[in-house]
Amino acid sequence: MRVILGLAALLLLSIGMTGCGAESADTTRDGRVVITYWEKWEDFEKEAMGDLVDAYNASQDKVYVEYLSTGEIDRKLILATAGGNPPDVAGLWSWRLYTFAEMGALEPLDGLMQRDGLSPSHYLPIIMEQCQYKGFTWALPTTPATLALHYNREMFREAGLDPDRPPRTIAELNEYAKKLTRTDESGAITQLGFSPSEPGWWNDRWGLWFGGQLLDGDRIAIASPENQAAYDWVQSFPAEYGQTELQRFQAVGGQFASAQNLFISGQVAMVLQGVWMANFINKYNPELEWAVAPFPAVSADMAPVTVCECDVLVIPKGAKHREEAWDFIKFVQRQKNMEALCLGQRKFSPLAEVSESFYEEHPNPYIRVFRQLAESSNASYTPKTSIYSEYRDEINFTYDRIWRQLVEPSSGLGDVAGKIQPKLDKANRQWERIAEERKKEWAAQ
Amino acid sequence: MQEAELAPFTTPYKPVKRSRPLRAILDWHQTQSVAGLAVRYAILLFFAAIFLFPFLWMISTSLKELDQVMRLPPQWIPEPIRWRNYAEATRAIPFWRYTWNTVWLCILGVSGTVFSCSLVAYGFSRIDWKGRDTLFFFSLGTMMIPFPVLMVPLYGIFRDLGWIGSFKPLWVPMWFGSAYSIFLLRQFFMTLPRDLTEAAMIDGCSHWRIYWQIALPLTRPALMVVGLFTFMAIWNDFMGPLIYLTDREQFTLALGLQHFQSKHGGTDMNLLMAASTLVVLPVIILFFFTQKTFIEGIAMSGSKG
Amino acid sequence: MTRKERHSLGEGLLFISPWLIGLTVFILLPAFMAFYYSLCDYSVLKDPVFIGPGNYVDLATDATFWKSLWNTVFFAALALPLGTFLSIGLALLLNTPIFARPFFRTIFFLPSLVPLVALAILWQWIFNGNFGVLNHLLGLVGIDGPDWLGSTTWSKPALVVTGLWGAGHAMVIYLAGLQDVPRSLYEAATIDGAGWWQKTLNVTLPMLTPVIYFNLIMGCIVILQVFAVPYIMTGGGPARSTLFYTMYLFDQAFQYLNMGYACAMAVVLFVLIALLTASAHFLSRKHIYYAGS
Repeated sequence: MRVILGLAALLLLSIGMTGCGAESADTTRDGRVVITYWEKWEDFEKEAMGDLVDAYNASQDKVYVEYLSTGEIDRKLILATAGGNPPDVAGLWSWRLYTFAEMGALEPLDGLMQRDGLSPSHYLPIIMEQCQYKGFTWALPTTPATLALHYNREMFREAGLDPDRPPRTIAELNEYAKKLTRTDESGAITQLGFSPSEPGWWNDRWGLWFGGQLLDGDRIAIASPENQAAYDWVQSFPAEYGQTELQRFQAVGGQFASAQNLFISGQVAMVLQGVWMANFINKYNPELEWAVAPFPAVSADMAPVTVCECDVLVIPKGAKHREEAWDFIKFVQRQKNMEALCLGQRKFSPLAEVSESFYEEHPNPYIRVFRQLAESSNASYTPKTSIYSEYRDEINFTYDRIWRQLVEPSSGLGDVAGKIQPKLDKANRQWERIAEERKKEWAAQ
Repeated sequence: MQEAELAPFTTPYKPVKRSRPLRAILDWHQTQSVAGLAVRYAILLFFAAIFLFPFLWMISTSLKELDQVMRLPPQWIPEPIRWRNYAEATRAIPFWRYTWNTVWLCILGVSGTVFSCSLVAYGFSRIDWKGRDTLFFFSLGTMMIPFPVLMVPLYGIFRDLGWIGSFKPLWVPMWFGSAYSIFLLRQFFMTLPRDLTEAAMIDGCSHWRIYWQIALPLTRPALMVVGLFTFMAIWNDFMGPLIYLTDREQFTLALGLQHFQSKHGGTDMNLLMAASTLVVLPVIILFFFTQKTFIEGIAMSGSKG
Repeated sequence: MTRKERHSLGEGLLFISPWLIGLTVFILLPAFMAFYYSLCDYSVLKDPVFIGPGNYVDLATDATFWKSLWNTVFFAALALPLGTFLSIGLALLLNTPIFARPFFRTIFFLPSLVPLVALAILWQWIFNGNFGVLNHLLGLVGIDGPDWLGSTTWSKPALVVTGLWGAGHAMVIYLAGLQDVPRSLYEAATIDGAGWWQKTLNVTLPMLTPVIYFNLIMGCIVILQVFAVPYIMTGGGPARSTLFYTMYLFDQAFQYLNMGYACAMAVVLFVLIALLTASAHFLSRKHIYYAGS
């Protein structure tokens, strides 16, 4: 008998514990609908949105946004959505949208936008484009970023270069890099002009500056002549300066966010970096004399080339408070609020219209350059395919081997195409099977 | 039932002691050649130094200023000693929050494992029923199924139960036994004399009472081992929290530490080492208090059953 | 079945009922589901679609899969013998009446207690190509150390070294095994005039084989699942030189969301482990001496 009692207690215990826990209340005590908002940001970026969330919560008395900071948000979001318990709003990266949309993990926003008169022309074209996939809009932007050449004016002067005339072609960049590099008697690098490996965060995109694309319709275009030229150029750096020497020199840099950062400490003259770099320079070495210019392309005739990506807000499929979530997203999209957010995160605005005071108040002296880059016809974003994550990993793997001179770029890139093309074909076939049904379902929203 | 009646069976479990009096050690040393002894001690000291050095380096780094961390050649003694790193590390991540999460999981998990596994082990050893041993060996066989096999479907099951994003996937299963702990405890219950149960049964004791009042107290050392191992497993677990936890506020120490390390832009090494030291420290302290249980538990788990 | 037998059966089942639930819900059910999913196109959001053995066919031609398997086998082939060697060596050293034995034992054992995440972070720092203390120490004896974790040649050996630091766990097991060797055997060997080395070779090690064998199998099973340390230290790089089986499985499942494919990998992993255990068991019948048999 006791055994039975004991077991009953055990079962009750476990069931009881199942009942309580993570689920939060649907309404606040004063009757406002509580919506959950998951976001990936930390530190000042998190706080900037925190202020906006507070402003929203104070601005009306129907909805209360609960703002949660989540690790590995893309994975967590897809799993929570699959679990039928997603947040009402989530902050994603634009490059993840295509996988998510194709899986059916997101709510299309077109109906809501149309109803409330939020037009795509409210945004910079490139931003709106990357929020759309398969003819639907899946997200609205928060803060965008572009990449540009950051260079050290003082080092330019020391090397006899004009600090107001940054390199305009890849050939010039190579030439400048050589002039800006110093070695000691033993051949060890003591100062470096430029290397694709510093910081080496966009190894999948170098082709862009050579006129290459990653995706050409349904074809994996990584093995195109342009891309091959790009990776030949990448490989010329370890060939020229020595892979071991570069690695040894770069190891001195320690953590990216530190005073030891090679660019911030004035040991590397030129880097490809994003709009956020200014924050780190200001924090760790405000004395640094630096400037920003479009990263040079292979030909001076090309419109400025950059990568433009954007943090975005989405409504996951199955969100319980779609209307309220939308109301909050709309609030963020107002020019005043968006500019406050972008100022707080020290990015440029994704909206078509920007107030003059935004630029005046902005702490980044080169913020206009980043914005202009986003407006360039050669600004590009992640290829719109659901398998990009695998594609990118494969390029990075090959990049590693190219960098170590283990493989010729032509054959390495050929291998990537050979491996990824069948996956793309398969993904496309799978999509074809469900496309009709999906589109009907989305259009009905 | 009176205490006295139980006496013959309740000789408390005593680990075999293998202490060697100083005399014996000295005698042994005299039988050895000086060269042989010197080599022996040299090797021991050499390895001891190697095994200790990562700890020392971790502590040394954790007390340095950042620019001393990045100085060449590396220095062993921090100058000045910067205790503040520890305070800063606990502020850089919600360290105490993570600690509490981990401790709470440990409490739920350890009590669940100890309770359920001892109950099941009792059922597998002290009660005779048809098919018992077959089922037991089948259960043992399931130990061969690696976690990665279960990972994906388990995720689906927890999702259907609505547990994703809560601690439940990490501790509720522990209330339903684990093959390995059941095996260890069963081994132990088997060593209890048979008459123990029978005498108690004749006195009209139910199995539940025998389990609760006789068997459990007698197996305390084994329960300690199981509890300790479970604690270590939860404290160390990385993959489970990585898969199941969502909210940063809910992270465990292991996951929080990894998150701290992989933060975009990187983390200052001195703070990272301070945080690591704080994660390692409780385990080391625990070890010093429970050394014997630990060592015996491992010895027990590593030999063939 | 008598009434009493029925009663015992009922009571026995009652006692093990938590396990019956646990075994069914948390082990058997997911195991069967894994097998089913491995034959499906499945990505958590959509219901699984049965596609037959397609995932296995894809696996056979997936270079990354083979690479991860090769990495794992290579790692095991390096780490297991070295680890066994080191832990038995230490155990043998400690199995003599030396001074401060508990002190040494504690020092050798402590590292195996360090939580894996902290262990990975610590060794990542030690292996740092430039500020790493290891290369500094190697420099003192005239060796120009490589950038351990940044080199395709040295990344796996670096992880092996990291693993060896935890050899104390196995050492404790072997130490216990050594103490179970009957004294009479040593005495007999002494009478035959055997020295320490001969005794070790002819008495100790043969007596230890069951323990070694058991630990080797367990070691293999553990290494096939190695995840946390390389995930944190290298993330599988450089150039996938440390992408181990379970890491690739994890990527397929939770990064690319190819859950069906990941399940196929999981089933292969299970088969590997089963084969390993079975063959080791078979071999052991021929070569291992069991006390008392």
